[in-house]
Amino acid sequence: MEHLLTVKDLNVTYVNKNRRVMAVRNVNMAVDKGDSLGIVGESGSGKSTLAMALLRLHPKGTEITGQALFEGKDLLAITKEEMNELRWVKIAVVFQKAMNALSPVHRISEQIEDIYRVHCPKASAEEIKTRTLELLKLVNLPERVYNLYPHEMSGGMLQRVAIAISLLHHPQLLIFDEATTALDVVTQGQILKEILEMEKTLATTRIMITHDMSVVATTCNKVAVMYAGELMEFGMVKDVLTHPHHPYTQGLQGSFPSLKGDNKKLVSIPGFLPDLSKECKGCVFAPRCSHATERCHKEKPPMVKTGEAGGAACWLCIGGEENGK
Amino acid sequence: MKRIGTRCLGALRQDAQLRFGVIGLAILLLLCLLAPVLATVDPYYYGPDSLAAPGVSGHLLGTNHLGQDVFSMLVYGVRTSLMVAIVSSMLSGIIGVVIGGIGGYFGGKVDVVISEIINIFLMIPVFFLIMLIVSLFGSDIKNVMIVIGITNWSKNAKLMRAQALSLRERTFVKSAIALGETKMQVLFKYILPNGIFPVVANTTRGMAGAILTEASLSFLGLGDPNVISWGQMIYQGKQYITTAWWISAFSGIAVIITVIIFYMLGDGLNHVLNPKYNQGGNK
Amino acid sequence: MANNAYIEIKDIQKFYPHKDGKLFHKAGERKYVKAVDGVSLSMQRGEILGVIGESGCGKSTLGRILVRLEDPTSGDVFIDGVSTKEILQKDTKTFRRQVQIIFQNPFDTFTPRDTIQKILLRPLKHHNIGKDTVERLKICKEALEAGGLRPAEDILSRYPHELSGGQLQRISIIRSMFLNPGFIIADEPVSMLDVSVRAEIINMLIDLARNKNAAVVFISHDIALTRYISDNIAVMYLGRIVEYGSADEVIKNPQHPYTRALISNCASVDPFEEHEEISIEGEPPTPINPGPGCYFAPRCYMATEECFKCYPNRVSCGGSHYAVCDKIKVNGAENS
Repeated sequence: MEHLLTVKDLNVTYVNKNRRVMAVRNVNMAVDKGDSLGIVGESGSGKSTLAMALLRLHPKGTEITGQALFEGKDLLAITKEEMNELRWVKIAVVFQKAMNALSPVHRISEQIEDIYRVHCPKASAEEIKTRTLELLKLVNLPERVYNLYPHEMSGGMLQRVAIAISLLHHPQLLIFDEATTALDVVTQGQILKEILEMEKTLATTRIMITHDMSVVATTCNKVAVMYAGELMEFGMVKDVLTHPHHPYTQGLQGSFPSLKGDNKKLVSIPGFLPDLSKECKGCVFAPRCSHATERCHKEKPPMVKTGEAGGAACWLCIGGEENGK
Repeated sequence: MKRIGTRCLGALRQDAQLRFGVIGLAILLLLCLLAPVLATVDPYYYGPDSLAAPGVSGHLLGTNHLGQDVFSMLVYGVRTSLMVAIVSSMLSGIIGVVIGGIGGYFGGKVDVVISEIINIFLMIPVFFLIMLIVSLFGSDIKNVMIVIGITNWSKNAKLMRAQALSLRERTFVKSAIALGETKMQVLFKYILPNGIFPVVANTTRGMAGAILTEASLSFLGLGDPNVISWGQMIYQGKQYITTAWWISAFSGIAVIITVIIFYMLGDGLNHVLNPKYNQGGNK
Repeated sequence: MANNAYIEIKDIQKFYPHKDGKLFHKAGERKYVKAVDGVSLSMQRGEILGVIGESGCGKSTLGRILVRLEDPTSGDVFIDGVSTKEILQKDTKTFRRQVQIIFQNPFDTFTPRDTIQKILLRPLKHHNIGKDTVERLKICKEALEAGGLRPAEDILSRYPHELSGGQLQRISIIRSMFLNPGFIIADEPVSMLDVSVRAEIINMLIDLARNKNAAVVFISHDIALTRYISDNIAVMYLGRIVEYGSADEVIKNPQHPYTRALISNCASVDPFEEHEEISIEGEPPTPINPGPGCYFAPRCYMATEECFKCYPNRVSCGGSHYAVCDKIKVNGAENS
């Protein structure tokens, strides 16, 4: 099929001296061209690990199995050189702390030039400048930013610069790894709006990794919910957020207050994340799930189709108790 | 307690420098304790053969110009060196920690005054000062130790001050204040215990410096003549270096080895205790 | 109304000298960063007051001043009519028992070298609560169990780094509660926690206000959460309160242009929620000698020339709800 990115049975295991942490387990997902997929999860859910594995930016000694097909190439099998070719050019990433990615002693213009030359060594200074100014405009920054040093700019501006840099080579896939988390509400809102605005003119596919459901709600059309390294539920944003099937997604929804809607009582999910270094027989969420049955503790639930484009890994969704909210 | 024990063992296994240092220190301590057993002759005994070469008439490492046995002197010299190292470093450690801690934690005008004093002590040629004091107040070994101690605290104070400066902004310090603990309680319960490790490492390394300083003083003739120390032996052997090299050579080697041991110990401790190097810990 | 308020915050100011590298200043030349610039509020017992604003608006500084981790440049706080300045002069311990703070970072709230038991026993001992260690331990255990931390024995023997953020934050609240304070400041207490455990902290704070009759100041940048927990909300911008009112009023019927922009930029969980599109430019500047006009005027979409001339007046929008903006038409209040 014409998926842009297909992830098949992805497993990522961090190997420490005396521990093996299975950070991502059996994850399958597909991203189509033009999609904006939000991967949500709490800390330890493996969402960032997943992205790092796709970009092959994981620490040394990490074991990865499975496939990640991007335009017919397996990102996990290609050589380092091939991967370096792909990064920035086809797949770009924006991290949470852009300020750390920029050198404090060089002007923005010099840094962008350097990054540009990595993949287009023959590019002329003129060409780079036009492209940079074009991008700065796209992310709503004034032209004077071109000659500034990083410390002369605010966090929001730096994050915009980082987004501009990620767009340098017209990437097909953009990954935002908690890119707006460190920012203020207003700045985050502005940047999210700008991202949506910018996508009207660019044909990029976006993966948004975040812990904030509301970011996904406002900027994505698809969502994948992860917990303890496994995929719990995926589907269209409007379906999943309004009618979550998986008890974990339901639990997450119950712990978010609505901005203007009714004040329902917030309920937290009892318990805490399981130890990821231990093999888990049943459903990973079962120990914290209020609907868990004996079966949930013993057998791992398969991904069940819910609705036209969704799926949830839960036994409840099979037994016809779909509306067990 | 059990946790601390396992942590220490883990650190020993992990860091080769620390292992070397600890084993070295253990040997030195053993020498210290067993000096009367190990020494073949009383080191203060002026024997009949002066300037005997190593091996001659039962003198393992020869004798000096007064007929004292070099080997026995070396063994007894460990005591002096260790004593100087430990006492003076403890002194400089305590002074540094308290002064630096107060400056960093209280801040404001107190800190301005304290950091100026620290800077002055960092700038002045300490060895010259020590020489001056020793020649004024006499070269008793106690004086030497105290003088080395009170002139070498500035680096420790600087380290501790930096620690205190960052610790006082930490939430647990703020919460202790909010819970009503007094400034002194905060300083001694939270700031010092959490910030002391770089100072411990530095103090241990400082021990090497103290040994060298004492040796240098003795070499210049400012040592305590009533105590056997390696520096003194080098000083005595200086004029016989061409005819009786063993007097200076063996004591020199002893100084080098001891300094290396303390340096390794300090460096190893620094690796294990300094959070900058300790990546395996909690976030 | 103001006379019988439990907590009365009166004109708190906090100025920091601006570091411009000059050693000497001519009289009047020295610049100040006005972190908190005249904040007055009053609270009843059992009330939760939400303070929202962007980072740098002075909300955390205000919180630290309220618990006296910092001293205000001027102004005072009255608890039950008594000046905290007087209480502090007489006895710091009494003040600490009355006012407590919950910090943002639970992972750093406890000294890493001690067990939870040692950490919890310290304030009890310091404030002479309980006769001896046995009784104090009993108090600790009961409090932990009541806070849902079971088994308490196990928790007590742990070190802070062995516990999760949610557990640590609960212990932090429990420890503050030992002193039975009437005034609690919660400075972004859940912003570092996972979503699924936030609710229990929030519910614990609500419980404190309702059952222990404490006045709680909830400082946060999360508008939806603040609206959920608070009775009243104060919106801060560059050290000043620009709008104040009951939580629902402020969120559903915001009057000040800044509040409107803040709420319109707040991403919501509900994908179908309607959005009023208001965008403001840039980010808040550092408050170095702001004014004389409205501090928000340079970014305001409604600003006119008058806004830059003098600081606007407080405009009542019905009930306790007020906004500090001259552009609000009084009929705006009639909508509610």
